[in-house]
Amino acid sequence: MSELLDQARRVAEKARALGAQEAKVVASRSRGVDVEWRDGQLERLSDTTDQSLSVSLYVDGRFSTHSTSDLRPESVETFLSQAIELTRYLEEDPARSLPDPSGYEGRSTVDLELFDPNYEQVSGEMRRTEVAELEALARQASTHLGDKVISVSSTVGDQFSEGARVHTNGFEGARQGTTFGASVSINLKEDDGKRPVGGGYSYRRHRSDLRSFEDIVAEAVESAEGKLGAQKVKTGSYTVIVKNKSISRLLGALLGPLSGAALHNKRSLWEGKLNTQIVSPLLSLHDLPHVPRGLGSAKWDGDGYVTHDRPIIENGVLKTYLIGDYYAKKMSQERGMQIQRNGSGLHNFQWSYGEQDLKALIADIGEGVLIDRFLGGNSNGTTGKLSFGCGGHMIRGGQLAEPLTEVNMSGDIAGLWSNLVAIGNDAYPEGSAHSPSCVFKQVQLSGV
Amino acid sequence: MISEHAHKAGEASYKGNAEEGIAYFRAFGVDESLFRAAFAAALSRGGDWADLYFEHGISQSISLKDHKVDSAFSSIGLGVGIRVVSGDQQGYAYTEDLSKDAVVRAASSAALIAESQSAASRFESQGFEVQTRANRYPISQEWMDVEVAQKVPLLTRLDEEVMASDQRISKVNIGLGHSTTAILIVESTGAIHFDRLPMTRMNLSCTAEDGEQRESNGYNLAGREGFEFINERRLEKLKTEAVNRTLFLLDAEQAPAGSMPVVLGAGSSGILLHEAIGHGMEADFNRKGISIYADRLNTRIAPKGVTIVDDGTRQHDRGAINLDDEGVEGQRTVLVEDGILRSYMHDRISAAHYGVKPTGNGRRESFKHTPVPRMRSTYMCAGKYDPQEIIKSVKRGIYAETFTNGQVMIGAGDFTFYIKTGYMIEDGKLTRPIKDTNIIGNGPEVLERTDMVGSDFEYDEGGWVCGKDGQSVPVSLGMPTVRVSEMTVGGVNA
Repeated sequence: MSELLDQARRVAEKARALGAQEAKVVASRSRGVDVEWRDGQLERLSDTTDQSLSVSLYVDGRFSTHSTSDLRPESVETFLSQAIELTRYLEEDPARSLPDPSGYEGRSTVDLELFDPNYEQVSGEMRRTEVAELEALARQASTHLGDKVISVSSTVGDQFSEGARVHTNGFEGARQGTTFGASVSINLKEDDGKRPVGGGYSYRRHRSDLRSFEDIVAEAVESAEGKLGAQKVKTGSYTVIVKNKSISRLLGALLGPLSGAALHNKRSLWEGKLNTQIVSPLLSLHDLPHVPRGLGSAKWDGDGYVTHDRPIIENGVLKTYLIGDYYAKKMSQERGMQIQRNGSGLHNFQWSYGEQDLKALIADIGEGVLIDRFLGGNSNGTTGKLSFGCGGHMIRGGQLAEPLTEVNMSGDIAGLWSNLVAIGNDAYPEGSAHSPSCVFKQVQLSGV
Repeated sequence: MISEHAHKAGEASYKGNAEEGIAYFRAFGVDESLFRAAFAAALSRGGDWADLYFEHGISQSISLKDHKVDSAFSSIGLGVGIRVVSGDQQGYAYTEDLSKDAVVRAASSAALIAESQSAASRFESQGFEVQTRANRYPISQEWMDVEVAQKVPLLTRLDEEVMASDQRISKVNIGLGHSTTAILIVESTGAIHFDRLPMTRMNLSCTAEDGEQRESNGYNLAGREGFEFINERRLEKLKTEAVNRTLFLLDAEQAPAGSMPVVLGAGSSGILLHEAIGHGMEADFNRKGISIYADRLNTRIAPKGVTIVDDGTRQHDRGAINLDDEGVEGQRTVLVEDGILRSYMHDRISAAHYGVKPTGNGRRESFKHTPVPRMRSTYMCAGKYDPQEIIKSVKRGIYAETFTNGQVMIGAGDFTFYIKTGYMIEDGKLTRPIKDTNIIGNGPEVLERTDMVGSDFEYDEGGWVCGKDGQSVPVSLGMPTVRVSEMTVGGVNA
């Protein structure tokens, strides 16, 4: 770790010596091992090591960024010299300067527990044993599907990474972390030749936090089996439940236009909406950067500024944009008014969870559609229009009914989230979004 | 013991660059002794064969916003990927440190896939032979010889012309990027392959405002060329397409929802092939039995008149390759011939599995990835129908003109693609403009419903990127105007 920090310091100083007034340097390296098992035998084994150096240069009022994995000393000096020379050809941008060092102060002292001290104890033999066990468990759990099962595969892997960041105006930080993953896929074959696949996974900072293999397999079996005999939906307007693990697609459409780049480039439907009601009052969303073992946890952001808990949306009211240091300066200069820098990064989410689990939500709406996957499509952050492919199940009489495929969901971001009528209590255990299932009324679905 | 061998008589030899390639990587300490040491470690536990994939890539881009070219990015990637293959199994490792110790360590990790007798001893006296290829992307002017000062005016001129073209344009962003990637592939058979892959890409996006209404759109162009890629025709096309596509949106609405005929315009609608058929015909999915096309070889999967090709031989094309990332020559592969599925796209592993020759589709994003079967330039050949006749044949449907993205579920065959601009077809005529509409279908079903193929084949020059297994590779596509008799349109107001 200190070696990387020293490397970053040396490169920052070298950049200054070669003509840059200021510089940001990130040095990083990682090692990852993945094992894949398929249909009773080892399929693939990979063992990889990465190293890289990323440099942002401020030269005579001009700015550029560069990266290299060729870290031989003679190469790094040439790399820096050429990068500085390139920067001199660019036009000046008064908004380009290192972040204000006062933003570096007050860094949290909480232990984020991003590194699993048991990482070194993971052996190749352990990975092979576990990946084979996971596949065997999935095969056993899908025996009731008979010869519909055409292939079962599993993966087990882990990664160690460390990095150091240095800004020539005083910021220094280093961190290291681990991640562990396990996943399983079950491929089925239907009579009409279609071969749906279902999957389950777990991905955590600490190995002991991984979900049980039984949970992962159960998720995969349910996902695969739930696609058998799928039909098209009748085109119309429905009450729709979007399952917890799939809601991130709609969340991305909602939050993407909050970025500084989108606002600066006039590509945000949320421009001028700060502190106004933009979605249903049921929705509150807080960003929590300091959750121990959180996949999105970080003590500083990409500008080096310390991170804080903050509300993004509170009872449907937009509480903050996601503007980093550069776009705050850029828009302030352009608009002749102070635009607040409030951090472009998102970390771990806390939702305004409801009282009901998925089963109760299904029973509650009675008739409608459960969406449990998205496929392709896009959203337009400028206008808010969206159109996504998806699949799931009909809901009839408060219960899941026939599976659905080739469904399209259309509408607009603001309208959809304004029609949010219920939020579940079932935070998805994977990822950093901790999303619950959400119920939306009057959603346009098309099929036949 | 490095020697040269003209691989294919009658084609322009790439010998000069092969010599250059050996010298090129020698500068990084890469030589025969490193090959031997790596193979000895890689096959120390057995295995059928191994390969080494050395890569050195340099890329640079500049961008314009707010009428200034005020940011740039460059990157250098250097490393080697080492693969050990035993039947269908692969052991893989890579390192960015090309010292002998680091390479041997990585090779030893890749070797763990195999558990049979050592095959290492044969490398003590292994000879190596450089293969030569036709060059499908000769360069007139290398980007390394072009100063940034020459590039900047190209962007500022475009910006001025776009801003002057229509008073509703309020923001313009322009990017110019180029890369050169040198690869040296060494097989445990002793064969050595070298290639140097150029790529240039330009993109222009703009925002237009009309009262309260605001829209953004853009256009991009890409190809395997040097500085000569930038010419007046392309600059004019970039500007015109970006502006027209953006202004178009101000008058457009989302399409109506439901199932209806869809006419796909010539060119970029090749995305239909890429998603509906292309991925499902990548042989790794079929080898594992998980593609919907797994047992359809030599059966009819589309009406007569439908011929689909995946082609790595088109000169300067974004999907062109002299050789794939396993050292197999880039080829033209007929996937569907007059409606019959004739071939999958193979890498070496799937080709051995099926007992056929590899088709030159073994591609990877970089040395950090294993090669897998990937598309190159995928297109449908021209048919017999006048495109106007195809439009006239539709009572009520949509005409899809430009696209942004697509996705497929390989096994189920369900796929989507996103229409950015198009028109309603009413009583055989193009009427209201439409936008931002997703279309969903099932690959085999849609191919069966492709009942009219136009005579107006067109390649798309865009900078398409294909993602698979966490890897991105450049691809291209093409299509004549076609009619699909029925698809689900993800519109509004059912």
